[in-house]
Amino acid sequence: MNRPRLAIAGLTACSGCQLMLLNCEGELPEIVERFEIVHFPMGESGSDPLDRYDVAIVEGAVSTPKDHQTLFRLRNASRTLIALGTCALFGGVAAMNNGTWDRGEALREVYGEGAGEIDSFRPAALGSFVTVDFAVTGCPPEKSEILELLSALLAGTLPPLPSYPVCLECRSRENLCLLLERDDLCLGPVTRGGCNARCPATGIACEGCRGPVEEANVAQELELLLERRFSKEEIVRRMSRFKAEWDYGQRR
Amino acid sequence: MASVVEINPLTRVEGHGRIEVVVEGGRVDRVNLSLTDSPRLFEQLLVGKSYREVPEIVCRICSICSTIHKLTAIMAIERAFGIEVSEITRLTRELIVQGGSLQDHALHLYCLVLPDLMGKRGVAELVAEAPDVLKKGLAIKEAGNLIQEVVGGRMIHPVNIVVGGLGQRIAKRDLLRLKQRLTAVLPACRETVCLFRIPFPFPPLPPPEFLALVPDHTGFTGGSFRLKGGESFAVENYREHVVETVGPRTHAKLALADGREPTVGALSRLNLGFPLEPGAAELFGPVRSELTGGDIRGNNLAQAVELCHAAERALALVERLLELEGRGEEKVEVRPAEGWGTAACEAPRGVLIHSYLFDGEGICREADVVTPTSLNQRALSRDLLALARGIEAGGEDAMRIALEQLTRCYDPCISCAVHLIRI
Repeated sequence: MNRPRLAIAGLTACSGCQLMLLNCEGELPEIVERFEIVHFPMGESGSDPLDRYDVAIVEGAVSTPKDHQTLFRLRNASRTLIALGTCALFGGVAAMNNGTWDRGEALREVYGEGAGEIDSFRPAALGSFVTVDFAVTGCPPEKSEILELLSALLAGTLPPLPSYPVCLECRSRENLCLLLERDDLCLGPVTRGGCNARCPATGIACEGCRGPVEEANVAQELELLLERRFSKEEIVRRMSRFKAEWDYGQRR
Repeated sequence: MASVVEINPLTRVEGHGRIEVVVEGGRVDRVNLSLTDSPRLFEQLLVGKSYREVPEIVCRICSICSTIHKLTAIMAIERAFGIEVSEITRLTRELIVQGGSLQDHALHLYCLVLPDLMGKRGVAELVAEAPDVLKKGLAIKEAGNLIQEVVGGRMIHPVNIVVGGLGQRIAKRDLLRLKQRLTAVLPACRETVCLFRIPFPFPPLPPPEFLALVPDHTGFTGGSFRLKGGESFAVENYREHVVETVGPRTHAKLALADGREPTVGALSRLNLGFPLEPGAAELFGPVRSELTGGDIRGNNLAQAVELCHAAERALALVERLLELEGRGEEKVEVRPAEGWGTAACEAPRGVLIHSYLFDGEGICREADVVTPTSLNQRALSRDLLALARGIEAGGEDAMRIALEQLTRCYDPCISCAVHLIRI
């Protein structure tokens, strides 16, 4: 059987999405048998920069000229490019202040005179630079979604995306509603499902790590939270954690 | 004329880095280590965020160490607000720390270092050449991850540990599941020590200046630091002793402790009297003399000893939590207070410090995080130079391989190191 040639790489991120792949301990031996892992610096040494791939799976935001170069090389060398995780898809935590601060100033505060030597820019999603064929969201992504993706790739296709919010899964698990019944700042109603409401199920409000669900009723969420005496400033700050820009007037 | 031997990128480590060895007239002149992850400016991102948000954001510094980052932040916040948590919370937190250690050490030893010992490129070749050994290692890693998942609610960036307590207590059936899984991997943990017994055949490296926490009864945290042969100093006074500077070519800060280039991590802990569980202590006995005062090559073996400790300790904690099963728990009230809070923990790869200033509303005004890899960076650079000089006659390929192997002995975590500190 033909083994698809795989590249797995990280840009500006915490390596959690790549770690999630290594966390598939039970499946890992089969994964490396079914795929040819051609390029994976976090787990394999000695790859050839001129290699070509069937699929490139990329974690992280783009924030340095090196990230940019890596991304373009992988795009040009691969038939399919997949964004893995929230940073690759939306910019993620490193981008949360993109709309509110001057990055140059923040760098100068940290590095002083040395700031000029740091070659970096505002973290941005892969889609700002190249065509992305498919994305797995989450900070971190769910193991099951990574395995679904790999299985689909072996079958020459891509998996379906959940088009429902975390709320739906949360209600079907019959969890206590943290937003309505405990007045928590829960982002479940506007966040893409697929995690089986992992956090609300342990009594912790959804922090929105999977980014917006399609047709999110953002305006209604805002109203619900304002009614619960959260300030607009705090709501915007919390919603920006994984995706800096939202349309707060969007009803569907 | 000068020539350069380059390792770019560093592989089988977390994050992005490169090494350049500058050779002049056939002799190694200098070694440049560059940690090149893009600065994500975490300390600045935290300013203006509430104490509830701080642990949730700061754990994203690094996935591999996310549990200990989150917990250290929570402990610093609790110190700032004067909060004492319950016994059940303390035990549960310690359990997830041991889970983090198991997953982290097993990942490092079996997925990143083992290929070096067997002359392989990485995990994929191990699957073909040494499937049984790899499967044992992956089973240990999986047991560690099961703890993280069950206790933390998620394997990476755990959600169930919060300021003042827990989202929810661990159910009895889950504790029993952990007990069964940990018991099953204990023999494999013991065997790990034999696997990593023989250090890389490098010429001797400079003796490390060990730095570790003076551990309290849990082993993973404490109130003061000890530097080998030096004075101990209190955690909250760390700023007077640990000085970070900006170096050329690297996005990580370089740290000095009392003017010396410290080494932190498993080897330092074992050298400075870490309290091991009985089974791990038994394994440590025969290798103690090799590891005492030894160079960083012994760090892999020290991690193997700790792997056994983590499994044993986790089992003991599960037993204790099962005993406390029926006991009720009072909810701790969290009331923000103005002031600094500082906490330090032993992360799997060494000393980790979090320090925050809050205003009366619980909004973060200043943040400082000192990570193990920034503490180790000077010692790593020093050792790379010593090793490159020691093997300069052996050819470029051999040098590339050896320098990467040495770098992995430090188990660096580059996204942790490049997180940035206010100067």
